[in-house]
Amino acid sequence: MRSRRPVVASLAVLGYVVMIVPLVFIVITAFTSGSTLRFPPEGWSLRWFSEALAYKPFMTSLVSSLQLAVLSAVFALLLGVPVALAIHRGRLPGRSLLEGLFLSPLIVPELVVGLALYQQFMIGLDLDNLSTLLIGHTVLMFPYAVRVTGASLALMDPAVEDAARGLGASPLRTFFTVTLPLLRPGLFSAGLLSFITSFNNVPLSLLLQSRDFRTLPVTMLDYVQQNYTPIVASTSVLILAGTVVIAIIAERTVGFAKIFGGINA
Amino acid sequence: MRGRRLAWLLVPGLVLLLAGFLIPSVIMVFAPPDTAAAEVFARLAQMLTDPYDLAIIGRTLGLGLIVTIACVVLGFPTAYLLARSSSRWSGVLLAIAIFPLLLSSVVRTFGWLVVLGSQGALAQALVALGVVSEAPQLLYTPLAIVLGLLQLFLPLAIVACYSALAQVDASLDDAARGLGAGRARTFWTIVVPLSWPGVVVAATLVFAGSVTAYTTPYLLGGSRQRMLSTQLYTYSSTTIDWAAASSIAMVMTVLVFAVSAISSLIGRKARVE
Amino acid sequence: MSASTTQTGTPAAQFRAVTQKFGDFTAVDAIDLDIPDGKLTTLLGPSGCGKTTSLRMLAGYLTPTSGTITIRGRDSTRIPPEKRNLGMVFQSYALFPHMSVADNVAYGLKLRKVESAERTRRVTEALEMVGLGHLAGSRPKQLSGGQQQRVAVARAIAIRPDLLLLDEPLSNLDARLRLQMRSEIRRIQSETGLSVVLVTHDQDEALEMSDQMVLMKDGRIQQQGAPHEVFAAPANHFVAEFLGYENFIPDGHGAELTVRPEHLVVTTEAPQTDTTGALSLAATVLDVAYRGVDVLITVEAATPGGETVRLLSDTRAAGAPDLRAGDRVSVQAPEAHLVRLPLKS
Repeated sequence: MRSRRPVVASLAVLGYVVMIVPLVFIVITAFTSGSTLRFPPEGWSLRWFSEALAYKPFMTSLVSSLQLAVLSAVFALLLGVPVALAIHRGRLPGRSLLEGLFLSPLIVPELVVGLALYQQFMIGLDLDNLSTLLIGHTVLMFPYAVRVTGASLALMDPAVEDAARGLGASPLRTFFTVTLPLLRPGLFSAGLLSFITSFNNVPLSLLLQSRDFRTLPVTMLDYVQQNYTPIVASTSVLILAGTVVIAIIAERTVGFAKIFGGINA
Repeated sequence: MRGRRLAWLLVPGLVLLLAGFLIPSVIMVFAPPDTAAAEVFARLAQMLTDPYDLAIIGRTLGLGLIVTIACVVLGFPTAYLLARSSSRWSGVLLAIAIFPLLLSSVVRTFGWLVVLGSQGALAQALVALGVVSEAPQLLYTPLAIVLGLLQLFLPLAIVACYSALAQVDASLDDAARGLGAGRARTFWTIVVPLSWPGVVVAATLVFAGSVTAYTTPYLLGGSRQRMLSTQLYTYSSTTIDWAAASSIAMVMTVLVFAVSAISSLIGRKARVE
Repeated sequence: MSASTTQTGTPAAQFRAVTQKFGDFTAVDAIDLDIPDGKLTTLLGPSGCGKTTSLRMLAGYLTPTSGTITIRGRDSTRIPPEKRNLGMVFQSYALFPHMSVADNVAYGLKLRKVESAERTRRVTEALEMVGLGHLAGSRPKQLSGGQQQRVAVARAIAIRPDLLLLDEPLSNLDARLRLQMRSEIRRIQSETGLSVVLVTHDQDEALEMSDQMVLMKDGRIQQQGAPHEVFAAPANHFVAEFLGYENFIPDGHGAELTVRPEHLVVTTEAPQTDTTGALSLAATVLDVAYRGVDVLITVEAATPGGETVRLLSDTRAAGAPDLRAGDRVSVQAPEAHLVRLPLKS
């Protein structure tokens, strides 16, 4: 592509190189037949994919990660939607202050939240790590639920809810027959965003891990530190493939850029 | 009346926020396990004077600043091209820029181990080209950390700048050009000033993310390039020094709050103007 | 001004000393209002006058700060909207986007546990009443603005409401459609015999559609009555100005006279001295604007009290005097078209 803005264009190309090249090298390395991360690969094979699928710690922690991500996304929605409703539909004093309070877990470093929960819950209260992880992940996903469903509520014409009331629906019935169905894209976006964020989280999952329950990224991190085999590359490619599927689902429903970039394209 | 009653819906969320976040965070500062508040503050004071600790704080801040500048320098032009291009490829390119946000930092950082490792692509290429005689040490250097963090946060910077640029009416560019401004002049006098708030948001997110990121400094910096985050983990999980861990947590939190406060001040000023 | 004399029987709804405050702001200030049964009442006024607030209190979306609202003889002040049985048409139409047109209309009937066959019959009846029987299966998004509005009306009348409330129903339509919907709503009102309350800021709409019109300003009722009564005899400066009386002439005795531009005649004759109630003033032409059918003449005239006022005359172009700026003329109006107002406070 010939550009009339040479400086701007070269900076953009450099940006894409930095973002994409490491991922390309992961994919290439995943198909090596050798047992090191040497480049170029000594030969080609699919052996590291079968190794990855047979490697128990990865598969066990994958299941753990999925469980944790689904549960915390559901909890975050269950707690976040009522809060979004109260903020956007209740005529409450100090609305923006309230909103700031509920979004506050977003600005505190995740490692700090993890440390606090580790100290207070796992050491202090002797709580098991699965419960602590669930609380921690729900706390982190909760602001997304409040913000994304809140944005959908703000865009919804409140007269639609008024109309249902006027036609004879109680507030509860109005919520279930009108508000909730109209909120579905927002709930889907918030849920998907929470799921992805929880699944990928390292700081919290790292501090709150135990031998019995740890997430996939933490297990991979641990593995990379001790071994130098392409199994992490093949696992990464499998995760990449799963993520592409999620991205396509997102694009087909609400819109990929809208959910993950907050961009109304 | 009926609006006020909805306040009850806040209760479960408030309980989660208080019990699962605010209260533990406060207790962590004043009373970590088996540690008195005085010990925490003594350790904090020591951290702010000890050369070893100061070097770590300095490295964290310095690398964070470099990454922030690099992200804006690369991210803003990219976002500008994406926002102004009418090509059907711009949607695809935007999606490619956002996509890495869906991947774990472990996956994304692992790519640099492949690229920068002693048997990796870059080292081998340098040897093959005869630039160096034996594979150079690229991992566990500040450069490795900067590259890793740049890759991690560039998508965030692009998205923040893009959102701001998309709100600037493209016909303003045309108007400036029509009045005789060249491309560069239009860019600096029209585009940049109007999308400035997006740059501030981008810089804030990147800086706050960089000074608290764990995976990248851990994998690409190792024990040679210690940063606040890796130190925090060492103190809390290896040496079990709660006073030190809490002190680092405080330093990190203050850093992030300070940069958020500064950026919201700049943002408010930009809005007033 | 007393309420319309055409009113008979028990009112459909009554406001008694109803006040609505939002913080320090008083949106509606102790109004008393009767909504006559089986008639169309419009609440008319500029934005912020309290008309929509009054309608929302009547519908139950707002609880008055003080006062009582009675609907069909029952104190409804604190009854929530879902227990009032009123049909409301919103300015934004507020159709349920996730339901078909038929399901939108059936929504209120389902809540009233109307059994299926009867429900289908009433949905069809309501949609045919607004001329949209053929669009029952469509989604609101597929309809034009005018069609969406008709669905909103059908949805509101399908529940056989005690009152039909319309909040600025025509403001989002284009000019041609607006005129058509005015008579459409009148037709629906007379066919169903419903008591209708319509909020508007458009005086033409109110004059054309209402049996009773209620003019509001700053949360207070300025005047109410049949359109021809209010139009012919505005009660004060605000009402006169709102209804298009553009000429205000202090009479020198603590009151003012007003006359519509179309009733102010500009002649080249000298002003008459013996007017006995009619108006005749010496004036100078400031501007003449030719508009095809009519001519707008702006003059500066001397009042009996010795002040100068700017007056506007709207004369048919055919037979209008040939004038230009600076000409000395006189302006005249017969006593029948003059309205005497208390001087604006």
